[in-house]
Amino acid sequence: MKRVSAPAEALTEAPETASSGAEDSPDAKRAKKASAKMEKVETVNVFAQSGVASAQNAATALNAAKKEANSGDDFATLLADAADAGTSNLSLERPALDGSEMENDIVLQWVDMDMYSGDPLREHPVPGEHVPGLRSGEVPIIRVYGVTDKGQSVMCHVYGVTPYFYTDIPGDAFGESELSRFREALDARVCSAARINQGSAVVAVVIREKMSIMGYCGGAKKRYLQIMMSLPNLVPKAKSVLQNGFACPGFPEKQFMTYESNVPFVLRYMVDNDIVGSNWLTIPKGRYRARGPSSRMSRCQLEVEAVYEDIVSHDPALPEWSAIAPLRIMSFDIECMGRRGVFPDPTQDPVIQIASYIKVQGEDHARAKVVLVLDSCLPIVGAQVKSFSDERELLLEWTRLVQRADPDVVTGYNVESFDFDYLMGRAKALKIEAQFGQLGKLRNKVAKINKKTFSSAAYGTRENSEIEMEGRVVMDMIQYMYRNHKLSSYSLNAVSSEFLGQQKEDVHHSIISDLQRGSDEDRRRLAVYCLKDAYLPLQLLEKLMVLINYLEMARVTGVPVPFLFSRGQQIKVLSMLYRKCLQLDIIVPVLPRAGGDGNGEVSYEGATVIEPIRGFYDEPIATLDFASLYPSVMMAHNLCYTTLIPTGEEKGLIENKDYKKTPTGHLFATTERQKGILPTILEELLAARKRAKKDMKAAKDPLRKAVMNGRQLALKVSANSVYGFTGATIGALPCIPISSSVTAYGREMIDATKAAVERKYTIKNGYKADAQVIYGDTDSVMIKFGGLDVAESMELGLKAANELTEELFIKPIALEFEKVYSPFLLLAKKAYAGMYYCSSAEKPDKMDVKGLVTVRRDNCGLARTVVGTCLHKILVDRSVDDAVAYAKETISALLQNKVDISLLIVTKSLSGKSEDYAVKQAHVELAARMRARDAGSAPVVGDRVPYVIIKAAKGAPAYMKSEDPLYVLQHNIPLDFDYYLDQIGKPLKRIFTPILTNPDSLLHGDHTLKRYKALPSSNVGIARFAVKKLQCIGCRAPIDCKGGLCRSCEKNRESIYLDRLAEANDLEDRFARLWTECQRCQGSLHQDVLCTSRDCPIFYMRKKVQKDIEQVQTKIDRFAEIDF
Amino acid sequence: MIECRLAEASVLKKIVEALKDLVTDAAFEFSENGLQLQAMDSSHVSLCYLQLLSTGFEHFRCDKESSLGVSLPNLAKVLKCANNDDTLTLKAKDEPDVISLVFESKKQDCIKDFDMKLMDLEQEQLAIPDTEYKSKVTIPADEFRRIIADLQVLGDTCKITAEKAGVRFAVEGDVGKANITLKPGEAADEEGGKSVNIDVEEAVELRFALRYLNYFAKATPLAESVELSMSKDVPLLVEYKMGEIGAIQYYLAPKIDEEDEE
Repeated sequence: MKRVSAPAEALTEAPETASSGAEDSPDAKRAKKASAKMEKVETVNVFAQSGVASAQNAATALNAAKKEANSGDDFATLLADAADAGTSNLSLERPALDGSEMENDIVLQWVDMDMYSGDPLREHPVPGEHVPGLRSGEVPIIRVYGVTDKGQSVMCHVYGVTPYFYTDIPGDAFGESELSRFREALDARVCSAARINQGSAVVAVVIREKMSIMGYCGGAKKRYLQIMMSLPNLVPKAKSVLQNGFACPGFPEKQFMTYESNVPFVLRYMVDNDIVGSNWLTIPKGRYRARGPSSRMSRCQLEVEAVYEDIVSHDPALPEWSAIAPLRIMSFDIECMGRRGVFPDPTQDPVIQIASYIKVQGEDHARAKVVLVLDSCLPIVGAQVKSFSDERELLLEWTRLVQRADPDVVTGYNVESFDFDYLMGRAKALKIEAQFGQLGKLRNKVAKINKKTFSSAAYGTRENSEIEMEGRVVMDMIQYMYRNHKLSSYSLNAVSSEFLGQQKEDVHHSIISDLQRGSDEDRRRLAVYCLKDAYLPLQLLEKLMVLINYLEMARVTGVPVPFLFSRGQQIKVLSMLYRKCLQLDIIVPVLPRAGGDGNGEVSYEGATVIEPIRGFYDEPIATLDFASLYPSVMMAHNLCYTTLIPTGEEKGLIENKDYKKTPTGHLFATTERQKGILPTILEELLAARKRAKKDMKAAKDPLRKAVMNGRQLALKVSANSVYGFTGATIGALPCIPISSSVTAYGREMIDATKAAVERKYTIKNGYKADAQVIYGDTDSVMIKFGGLDVAESMELGLKAANELTEELFIKPIALEFEKVYSPFLLLAKKAYAGMYYCSSAEKPDKMDVKGLVTVRRDNCGLARTVVGTCLHKILVDRSVDDAVAYAKETISALLQNKVDISLLIVTKSLSGKSEDYAVKQAHVELAARMRARDAGSAPVVGDRVPYVIIKAAKGAPAYMKSEDPLYVLQHNIPLDFDYYLDQIGKPLKRIFTPILTNPDSLLHGDHTLKRYKALPSSNVGIARFAVKKLQCIGCRAPIDCKGGLCRSCEKNRESIYLDRLAEANDLEDRFARLWTECQRCQGSLHQDVLCTSRDCPIFYMRKKVQKDIEQVQTKIDRFAEIDF
Repeated sequence: MIECRLAEASVLKKIVEALKDLVTDAAFEFSENGLQLQAMDSSHVSLCYLQLLSTGFEHFRCDKESSLGVSLPNLAKVLKCANNDDTLTLKAKDEPDVISLVFESKKQDCIKDFDMKLMDLEQEQLAIPDTEYKSKVTIPADEFRRIIADLQVLGDTCKITAEKAGVRFAVEGDVGKANITLKPGEAADEEGGKSVNIDVEEAVELRFALRYLNYFAKATPLAESVELSMSKDVPLLVEYKMGEIGAIQYYLAPKIDEEDEE
């Protein structure tokens, strides 16, 4: 059972609630709670208006009130509460301009950036000054969208940026005089390749003194050509012309290497002007020109034009520029009318509701909650409900709403792949695409959906839709979840329950249509549901600090925020690399991409793992860790592209002075010779992280604390991703000598540590026992010092870390004492559990479990629960006996069918038809069987299919044994308990192997002798032909008389009857509780529960209890059959 | 208190062998009239029903109806320890948690005593309503076993056609097809009593999974002949009669065409 809500009582001990509470109906009680809550919020409101000093208090109080409302799980009440909290004072729109803006500097935090091509700027905003770049033809113009600290929207056209890249010089004899010849020849080739008839593509060619990042060159610069192009889309054209073979007149044809020719133009601009993701920019007064109404492109409040050199970029590391502007966030969700058995199709099925939440970053309450409903609808307290009779009107009203609210960030759940796609498709079907699509910040620009497949080693391959809305960043929370959390289910429901502790009702899409066709009340209900779907993603965004963390990641790595959602890891490292290279006159070559078939992939030896000495350690185990192992190795040994000396070129250099040989035999120059770029970047990242952590500790304001935390996390992740970047063989700049040397050093260090520990901390040297390294992995070693308590282990661990660091390693490699485990259960490589002591030796901080029945999707919930509880009993309660007893009890309950079916369910998502799979899979086969039973309710592609394993003929393949849990409940189909026994048996045996002499005893023995054998209800197999024989209700002996009892039980008739009756009462009570729980979840105690969420354990419990009541009732009825 | 003695342990041995592949856990139901066992196989396609009458035992005593849950594979292991001509005594207390098996050699010079833990099986009882079968075929038991084994080579579904003129077993599979027809005959009499007997009121044609027929044929050592009873739309009844002690019956649901697709 979930907790029953009683939030208000604790807080407001109002006398009337206490006095009249007893005879109140539950509804009256709720109303009272609600009003009590409102009072609370109102007082808060007074605070809020009374002045700045108490704002802090008010904020905390408001939060408390909010939390309280949340735990009630009653979304309608929550809406009402929020309505009372003064939302309406703040308007939906952005604050108006006061007219003085144009006389001052414009300071903005930018959120989005794009480019377009257009006419060059005729006159510099400052009369008489020169505008750089081409004076005629089309030029690239960058649009920067941002928000001022007051929350006003700004768009700036940035002029004068020229796209460029580098290439090799055609030959040693090439000089200044040949430049124009080169330009003309290249221009001709590019123009013909790009079919340009007039104007030129190659604007200028200049000789620059640069170094290539690849390989050590001792600081000697070489000549390269910088090639300036008219438009960025011509860069790749020029690149391929040069790569495929080009001859400068007077020089032989050759294939040119190009440099930095694949940098996205926007990023190029950012790198060159030191602009990082979402930092603050100043456009100084007098150096920009405002656009008048006639020449405006956007709906932004301020639209200006300026030359790129005039824009000042502020370093977000400075405290005064680390703030976050009041960005506007909009979360939305749509509902559409489905038909039975078919997934809604935008060409046919109308959109019936759109709910939107509008919020401003940093404020506690939403600015507006609007739900647009097709057909009439009852009002919802706290939200605006607008009814429409025409679907076109509804859609267009939403466009107007987006324009008015003008969000900088748009969020929702799966909005990119479903909601936006559907809305656009629907608008197209209704032929209002052009009007409806005005969703971006630009005027006369229809939002566009791009479908693309994105594949990355870190995130896997996913098909994405991307919506293009200029000036707005789309943060689809489902994408965030995919990228950042490994979950067994990614449904909004599952995610909300995981991170917010909230359930939502899951209404099947066929029921949505029924509700829509129903009464005003039904549509109101749907609207509340829709609002909640818009509310939850927003909650997730806030709770998980997604916006703040992503902004910080963008600032640290210097890429625009949308890149973080749409691109992989490499671009972040590349961005940092480009920035550093620019300072050092280094250029980055564009290597031809390695074939993606994986055959050409070079593999190298990875990290080392010290073979674990398995066992249960009832004494402290100290763990020493290398802090940021790979980054520190790269820094210590100066491993970089720029320090790598190609074999055979070390002539004239002295080993161990000018260069060092790594364990893999590669040569790298020492720091004295040349400091590498990667080590420099890493040093800066780690230093910045130290600062951010310090700032975080010092910060008083919770928002600033959050920002600093986001930053230090971003810095850590970025530092760690550098090593991976060098090892990504199909990446932009792979360099196996670096990555293989890094891991080789890592291995050496672990081995050296182990040897040193076992040499130093021995009885011979005056310690209590001989220390032993029982396990080590990648960057840590676990040591059993022996004979010490937790406090002493901590002390010795700390001492050892310092001594070993001093003795064995080069700076900044450092061994740190991290934690002590006591007790500690070591099962296998990467699989262990223990009580974690870090902050104090008295009380453990937590139970730490690694690699044990993690969230693997093909494990049922029971396995996780049992293993978790057993570990808890062993480690926290320190009672192996309890753990064994618990494991046996659970197994016994399983065999008697007393385990809740929701714990036995495995869920997988259906991505195609049976034919699409090479191997038959349980959930796919089940979906096919369900379709044969009832096409209407069967899962369709994209749905998640929950299943349980049922008994089947001996040797039947697993895919034949899957069944719909609901069907199993309804038809009483026997589950394959032996299968589940095996499922929980394996992990149990694993954890008990080091503890018990005979772990198999858990799975056999007296507790497994009591078994439930289900009898399938009719129409399955032989049961179709059979009739149930009467059994005695008391002892189950077969009987053939009426009355329900056998002869020997007859004398106990009364007590047996009362037992059954009590059983029935219990079940009814349980059902009532479950039902109300579901009613609460749906937010109304007056309506039937419609939810059929297959992710929700309560749903199955409800169904199971329903079935159980039926069975007990039949038994009770049999008592009546007798004639007295 | 239960106490019953069988003259030859081999009877129970064979019975358990005939059941254990189809059913793993089952309840022996003791009553004053004898002992019965009824269970479905794990995929619920077939049902087996064993009946041993008290009169077939050397000695039979049951004071109170009781249901004893037994793991058949374990029982088979215990029975392996008995010689075929040992006498076997089953004993259990009221509300028992073990069943005792005592094997005594013919010469009374060796007594083996086993206690086996019982299982508590929570299950409901089924019965197949009595049916007037339209056709009945009696075949020598080993002949039937042979037919099933032969046909299994070719496919997994067997079509049984019973007509006055004979009974045909047909299989079609990827490899090819096979037909085995048995005619009612006095011809077989020459070899000594075993013959095919056909009693067909109405011709019947039904399809069954060979896998299960093969399990049923494990009962062959228990009886000379096997009786197949069929009617349209009801389960096939395969019965092995063990003389005066009782019989073992198997019911198998016919295959319906749409199920074949799976």
